[in-house]
Amino acid sequence: MKRYIDFYLTSMKMAVIEQWQYPIANYFYMIGMIAEPVIYMVVWSAVATQQGGMVGGYTPGAFAAYYIVWTLVRSMNVVFTPYGWEWRIRQGQLSMSLMRPIHPLHNDVAFFAGWKVVVIILWIPLALALTLFFKPDLHPTLLNGIVFFFAIWFAYLIRTMTLSLLGMVTFWTTRVSALFELYFAAELVLSGRLVPLSLMPEWVQRLAWFFPFRWAFGYPIEALIGNMSVNDLFIGLGMQLAWIIFGAVAVSLVWKVAIRRFSAVGG
Amino acid sequence: MPSVISISKLAKHYQVPEREAGLKAAAKGLFKRTYKTVKAVDGISFDIQPGEVVGFLGPNGAGKTTTLKMLSGLLHPTSGELSVLSYEPAKRNHDYLRQITLVMGNRNQLSWDLPALDSFDLQRAIYGIPTEEFKRTRDEFIELLDLKELVQKPVRNLSLGERMKMEIVGALLHKPKILFLDEPTLGLDVTMQKRIRSFIAEYNKRYGATVLLTSHYMADVEALCKRVIVIHHGQLLFDGDLTALVQKFSAFKTVAFDIDNPNQDFSQYGDVVSIDGLHVTLRVAKEKTSAVTTRLLSDLAVDDLTVEATPIEDVIESVFSVKKEAME
Amino acid sequence: MTGIRLAFNYLRIGIMNEFQYRANLYIQILQTFIALATGLIGLNLVFDQTSQLGGWGKADLLAVMGVFTMTGGFIRAAIQPNMERLMDEIREGTLDYALTKPADSQLLVSVREFRLWQMVDVVTGAIVLIVALVQLNWLISIWSVLGFFSALVLGAIMVYSFWLIITSTAFWFVRVNEIANLFEGLYAAGRWPVDIYPNWLRYGLTFLVPVAFAVTVPASAITGRLTLETWLGALALTLVLFIIARTVWMIGVRNYSGASA
Repeated sequence: MKRYIDFYLTSMKMAVIEQWQYPIANYFYMIGMIAEPVIYMVVWSAVATQQGGMVGGYTPGAFAAYYIVWTLVRSMNVVFTPYGWEWRIRQGQLSMSLMRPIHPLHNDVAFFAGWKVVVIILWIPLALALTLFFKPDLHPTLLNGIVFFFAIWFAYLIRTMTLSLLGMVTFWTTRVSALFELYFAAELVLSGRLVPLSLMPEWVQRLAWFFPFRWAFGYPIEALIGNMSVNDLFIGLGMQLAWIIFGAVAVSLVWKVAIRRFSAVGG
Repeated sequence: MPSVISISKLAKHYQVPEREAGLKAAAKGLFKRTYKTVKAVDGISFDIQPGEVVGFLGPNGAGKTTTLKMLSGLLHPTSGELSVLSYEPAKRNHDYLRQITLVMGNRNQLSWDLPALDSFDLQRAIYGIPTEEFKRTRDEFIELLDLKELVQKPVRNLSLGERMKMEIVGALLHKPKILFLDEPTLGLDVTMQKRIRSFIAEYNKRYGATVLLTSHYMADVEALCKRVIVIHHGQLLFDGDLTALVQKFSAFKTVAFDIDNPNQDFSQYGDVVSIDGLHVTLRVAKEKTSAVTTRLLSDLAVDDLTVEATPIEDVIESVFSVKKEAME
Repeated sequence: MTGIRLAFNYLRIGIMNEFQYRANLYIQILQTFIALATGLIGLNLVFDQTSQLGGWGKADLLAVMGVFTMTGGFIRAAIQPNMERLMDEIREGTLDYALTKPADSQLLVSVREFRLWQMVDVVTGAIVLIVALVQLNWLISIWSVLGFFSALVLGAIMVYSFWLIITSTAFWFVRVNEIANLFEGLYAAGRWPVDIYPNWLRYGLTFLVPVAFAVTVPASAITGRLTLETWLGALALTLVLFIIARTVWMIGVRNYSGASA
């Protein structure tokens, strides 16, 4: 156990030092990412203004708050792309990580976790700029903040699990674009990425409970911007934990089968 | 003493889809796939004792890398028995992985942007090496390979040879008992090759590790291995003393030159291997080489005279052809 | 006119190449379908809450979506692949091949690549546009149609010029790939008419990144909103951008050839 903590801390430290050398590349990526929520924000603010100041319970200020927090949550839940698994298998990187007495997925989780630390630090000035521009209506309590802190790291873990599962399909076939694209489309709509889920029709909101998407996106945002009861906050954390555990179990089962196949066919 | 590596009738077969050119064949291929079996490793057996340094020789595609991958647990054998340190490598038991190391010449484990020292620290964390012991081992290796100034530089700023040295140090920090080295000196200059070879020899001496080394370079094998195993077409061709192999088949050198009139009798100098336009290649007995080259230079008007050791492929081919004759 | 003939040859080869990768057609159709579905979902979500946005009704915005899809398809088929290839060649120094051919280098590097399957978006976008026009009871005149097609052409030239300027900076700066990614993100703003955006964003999307001219202006034309002023403005801006692009390109090429001695 101590060895794993040591490994994680050491890997994260390395990832931080590495990524810290590329602030400009990181910033370009983040700025490009911001275009999306700004567009959503601006459109919905226009709708709200059109309808007399509020729509679906959100004022323009509330939309600003939602989509600005969105940028942090999004930065936190970006993980290794499932498209990258084909490259990784073919390049022989997978073979090398299989030689270590530690499950290769720990490497992913640890490395990206370290990167996230850099991302959070770089995000702060961006958030300040966005706040100045769009004047969000944001008054979180201390409890909101604490729950949010856990929620974003849980979101990171959830999406690591789900996208690793997707990526592992590559062990069986390389014709994966259709599956991935459909997955991301469903995620866009059901996660709270496109719009706050409360603006979706009832049946969609109920549907979203059964998928991991909203727990990696919408829930953390809502936890911070302060609409949720204490009860709901903790139920949310519980759901996140449940998805992490379920994801981890699924990943280790699929991994065992995948590696057996990989070892039969070769890298 | 129980063998540390024990292989019996090990085989690895692949099913490769057969594909022909042309539209019709491609269309047919959509419905019915025909496969053919490629025998990468076709029933080899050997035992290796602890502390041995064994050279694993063979031309490209002979099955060396496939065998190494099976020994390190990356590939499941198709048939046969395989045991290393009493483990079944394919099970990839973590305790097993902690006692071995695999170094493949062209694949790196070190972080590109950071100094090697940081990557070494990660190895410490991965293998759970106690800090004091780690520091001692690390400093010992840095000393042995003279890397003190280089370990602080980002790996991307190092030359290929320096990077290879770092990779090897990183691979040995956990003091593995078994080393699988796949072409560790590939692409390096002669000085660097020598340094790495002496390091491996020193490691073997100090820690009694068992080393299985594949290489293209006869020099690697000559410097390190008392015993060689020769593989060709997935089959074991020779398993025995290196000196015997060397004496028998490195007894010749290749002498090549350009000459205006290639159509003459060279038999007094050596056996003609090939005449390609104005370029002549001769095979000359080792002990006669200096005499022959002196005579060539004085008797004939030759250009660009070169003298080379027999390439290992030729040695292997000789072994192969000897085997065939011996069987008849 | 050897330049034009050369261009056509490249086009022909590019198209034949695409036929080798028929799987890409199916992937493209899926992607178009998904983009359309999510676009319609977004549109419906907005119009569940309101009946018009910045003076644009639902059918109008459907028309905008159609134009957005068409233009996007064309950019990804004809403009972007050429610019990305140009970026790589400048960075790796392999631009020489293009520079030593007996045709205008700018023309050459702009027409070499053509992703045929991206044109699926042009077809789909056109269909969406026609559906939108039906919903608007075909309130179109000869002027709106002329305005539409001319605005499309002007918009395309503007986007092309803009891309060429950005890509040409690769002659001096290395980091251009990331700027290209930024454009993709900003282009998504074209999904909605720029009228509804706050002023600062509208100006940015008009003069800095000509998204407005690529989508909003043609959509305004076909839905009968385009003023002569705006059209003339588009014409002027197109000329200006095209000249700037040509100039930057020529300077860049001179610089490049001098550098690689």
